[in-house]
Amino acid sequence: MNINMHELIKIIHTLPVSLIAIILSNILLIAGFIIGKLALYKYENAVKFFAYFSVVMCVLFVLYFISILWFSISNLYFGNAVYAAIFPVFLFLPFIIGHFASYEKVHLYTNIQILTLIISLLLALSFI
Amino acid sequence: MGQSLDFEFIHENKCKRAVLLFHGMTGSPYEMKKMGKALYEADFDVFCYCLPGHGTSPINIKTVRWEDWYTESTMHYRNLTKKYDEVYLGGLCMGAVLALAIASEYRDVRGILSLSTTLFLDGWTIPWYNFLMPIGVHTILRYYYSFPEREPYGLKNEALRKKIAALQKRNTEALDNYPMSCIYELLKFSKYAQKNMFKVQAPVLLMHAKEDDLTSPKSAEFVYKNVGSNIRKYIRLEDSYHLVVMDNERDFVFKTCIDFLNDLSAYAPKTEKLPPVDDTFTESAGL
Repeated sequence: MNINMHELIKIIHTLPVSLIAIILSNILLIAGFIIGKLALYKYENAVKFFAYFSVVMCVLFVLYFISILWFSISNLYFGNAVYAAIFPVFLFLPFIIGHFASYEKVHLYTNIQILTLIISLLLALSFI
Repeated sequence: MGQSLDFEFIHENKCKRAVLLFHGMTGSPYEMKKMGKALYEADFDVFCYCLPGHGTSPINIKTVRWEDWYTESTMHYRNLTKKYDEVYLGGLCMGAVLALAIASEYRDVRGILSLSTTLFLDGWTIPWYNFLMPIGVHTILRYYYSFPEREPYGLKNEALRKKIAALQKRNTEALDNYPMSCIYELLKFSKYAQKNMFKVQAPVLLMHAKEDDLTSPKSAEFVYKNVGSNIRKYIRLEDSYHLVVMDNERDFVFKTCIDFLNDLSAYAPKTEKLPPVDDTFTESAGL
């Protein structure tokens, strides 16, 4: 177990910071959306909770967007055209989902959002 | 939805002049009632209806689109034009945007009272993290987030604040938060209204508080500069916040509105002529 952890830390050290940022922001966003989904109808009147929750989620989205941009540009620079082309799609997906979303179908669109985050996480992990 | 909050003040002897009032975002006709009474006493029949999604539960407001507000308000306006020779529009906050949007489509609007017009959300109580709003508004997060309403609740008058805070807790006459989805619809509606502002030909009276906590005077200035009307008056209030129809200068607001409508009414409808071109900007003397 100790060896594995040691190796894991070594792998992390070799990863680009932008990739680590994508993975981290992805995991936190997925967790955030799952919490939000579970709490939305149960504690709908907790306005302050959802205000702070959304601010944190917005900050995570900003981190996610910046890391995707950073990762794509650096991949373009190093000639990894596939990654450079695929990742920017995930910049637009939250806005496309937001455009079609409605309150009545908020759970469905939250699930779609979570699914796209999982796909981008898997893509990022495939780079390791 | 919310019919119990609607009001109609109609004179027994057939009156030819009507004013259709629109309340603000997350508000209800309750906030327009005093203004309605003042207009009624000045010989206008007055109507104010709850906008779709308002006046019931906070959930309903999240399900409506700006087109719903606009369609229903237009329907009320068209109904009144069948019964009255002169129909004036008046609104507070988003209600002012509604009045301007209707006037941009219907040239027979006789005059507009545009109070605390809300085209931009840039008042001083907007939270510091407002710069994140584009992400909150345009993603799924808008169904999660609400701006919590907080002091001063749009009122400079401290005695009134407690009353409004108590009302907001009931979440019917006024909500204690602004759902982001509602703000999203308002911003879309605001863009529509801005695009069509030049089509507004009806005389406009703009009144906006210098220290408006929700929307700065930039919104009123935008209207003042861009409406197509020959008659436009802009009065900046010195001793009020956003809810100018309830705050310290409300009597001055009512009197100015009544004088403006009476001046317009003196010319309409027989001659079809409008008063001479009037293009004024004034500041209230801290009444």
